[in-house]
Amino acid sequence: MSSNSTIIGAVEIGTSKITVLVAEYHSGRELAIIGCGECPSRGVTKGTISDFRAASDCTQFAIQQAEKDANERIESVFLAQTGGHLEGFSNEASVNVKAADNMIDRDDIKTVCELAKSKELPAGRMVVHHIRRPYRVDGRLVPDQPENLVGQRLEVGYWTVHGQEQRLADTIHVIRGCNLEVGELVLSSLASGHMVTTAEERQHGVLVIDIGAGTTDFVLYRDGGPHMTGVLPVGGSHLTNDLSIGLRLTENQAEKLKLRFGRALVLAKDRTDKVWLDGNYAIGDRQFPRQAIEQVTAARTWELLEAVKKKLGHAFSPETCAAGVVLTGGTAKLPAIAECAGKVFGTPVHLGEPPSWVEERLRDPGYQTALGLLYYVISSRTGSAGAARKRGGFLRGISRLFVPS
Amino acid sequence: MIKPSEALPATRSWREIPQHVTPRAMSPEGRRRRWMEIVRWTAAGAALVAGAWAAWQVSGTVRSDPRSPSGESAAEPIGDRITLATDGVLDRGWLVRTLALPKKATLLTLDLAELKARVLASGQVATADLIRNFPGTLSAHVSERAPVLRVMAAAADGSARPLLVARDGVVYDGVGYDPAMLRTLPWLDGVKLLREGSGFARIDGMETAADLLSRAKFEAEPRYSTWRVVSLARFKEDGDIAVRTADGLTIIFGTREDFFRQLARLDLLLDTAAKAPAGQPAVREINLSLGSQVPVAFAAAQAEPSVRAAAPAAPAFPQLHIKITP
Repeated sequence: MSSNSTIIGAVEIGTSKITVLVAEYHSGRELAIIGCGECPSRGVTKGTISDFRAASDCTQFAIQQAEKDANERIESVFLAQTGGHLEGFSNEASVNVKAADNMIDRDDIKTVCELAKSKELPAGRMVVHHIRRPYRVDGRLVPDQPENLVGQRLEVGYWTVHGQEQRLADTIHVIRGCNLEVGELVLSSLASGHMVTTAEERQHGVLVIDIGAGTTDFVLYRDGGPHMTGVLPVGGSHLTNDLSIGLRLTENQAEKLKLRFGRALVLAKDRTDKVWLDGNYAIGDRQFPRQAIEQVTAARTWELLEAVKKKLGHAFSPETCAAGVVLTGGTAKLPAIAECAGKVFGTPVHLGEPPSWVEERLRDPGYQTALGLLYYVISSRTGSAGAARKRGGFLRGISRLFVPS
Repeated sequence: MIKPSEALPATRSWREIPQHVTPRAMSPEGRRRRWMEIVRWTAAGAALVAGAWAAWQVSGTVRSDPRSPSGESAAEPIGDRITLATDGVLDRGWLVRTLALPKKATLLTLDLAELKARVLASGQVATADLIRNFPGTLSAHVSERAPVLRVMAAAADGSARPLLVARDGVVYDGVGYDPAMLRTLPWLDGVKLLREGSGFARIDGMETAADLLSRAKFEAEPRYSTWRVVSLARFKEDGDIAVRTADGLTIIFGTREDFFRQLARLDLLLDTAAKAPAGQPAVREINLSLGSQVPVAFAAAQAEPSVRAAAPAAPAFPQLHIKITP
């Protein structure tokens, strides 16, 4: 490891699995993924920590595995945040330009931004993200900084994502339990959305839906940036749960059937077409109608996507979302889910593909959040990695000499 | 006046969540990490302290080292601050003349390699070291060659001048030697001096001749004091070294046998000859190069006392058989 690089860990504590990626971040915004670790998740329900010890052990195991794979020690963690407690609202503000010549200066920009971000939160809520929307000068859209432009009125809007303090603290404490510092907390949908869309798509308007096991995160991009985000506490595990109840199976058996025969649209016409539970002809192996499985998974998927559409409300319309819908996350691997989403949203839908530079073993949709976490933070700010270097400085450089093998 | 930002409600960010965790609340791996971190930081601190201590020590050493530069004084002209340490006879005046430093030369502007070459240009100097001794002294440490024989050489204007020959065969113009000491050195004969640059090439066989001379000087000093000419004319062909004494005796030493034995035989023979009754012919040549069989040649006849008195004593310079080859 060179002296001017930082080892960053991207951690996604998901409902079904915990994913950790280790990246070496060089100054000059160069990022190299050097290690990967994952562990089936325990103690996490619908994206929030329900059993601290179990979640902590799993996270610790995944971190250790990733560090072993990378042969480096993580110095700072970027943590993906999801969960039903996360909510968002839009707040807009406008100011009259102060200068006599109507030229916008830094003070105007600062004032309007502070006003737009200043909405008071309910007790026990904390801001996770302030996502700025494009500025407007006298109603005219300004994609970049409006400084030195001439106009009478400056407007800006913010999408503020906030969450429950205890839930956020729980997630952070899981990482702190491993004696690692959380450098950045990023909404899962922003991370995965940044990974599977291009700048052009974001400019035209695109909706990214990340369907995980316990939650479904979505982000709507407009004018090149995030316009709205949301989290539904429903995911692939609900399909499993419905199959388990409907077909009277255990969770594990239902999960197996979902992965092998689940579909987002019903294809089977023949009611007598049956499939084996295990297919190994062992005692206890049973047959189930394929159509019934497809009906359950399709109905649930449709409901889930409808719920997303409902939550988006007027913000989404096929006209303002010219680049369509992108699906990602583990449940996006469900066959025919793109066609199903196309029917729900009335726009072209495709599955999210990571950029071509992502190596083969990390191209699975399940890794897109962790990957996007690194990509989003590094590409959008000069933040904690740089701060970590500043904090450590010379002494940190020396202490690296004493890293145990 | 209240600024707009001061009147706004403060929103709390996730960054306000305290990330401090007590070791008790950490997982075993977290505690292990914490301990390793403490060890790493302690080691880093110790390394820094050790580095600082080493730097302090080094700076102290540098400050007290007379050879280290110290600003202004190193920029001062050297003047007469030149010292010479030698194992021979050269003096400081010779060094100053040889170095011929410009008046404004400072220690830092000196080209030590070039000055060393100037010192070594004198054949009398075998090795030389020039050292800048800050704040402002140039020191020379010199080891000198010791002369073994004298040799007559023709100068550029055709006149003959005496030079000295060292043990390693180097022919040089001696400086600072006591003339009385130089007069005790025998002359070298029977060699060709070859010019090389402004001096002469080394003479072969001088090591052996020097061995003989030193052995004679220390084991048979009375005999050695009568030696006037050492000839290497037959050294290459026969390995013989011929010595002519002040009283006209020629002694031939061989190089195949130890010089000590040969000197012992010579001593015995000359003692025996000295005890011979008066009127015996004088010994003219003793050849010690043939081992225990020592041929001794006598003078043909006793010359009349008047004739003997007219005969020249030992020559101030021998009849030289040295050929100078340009």
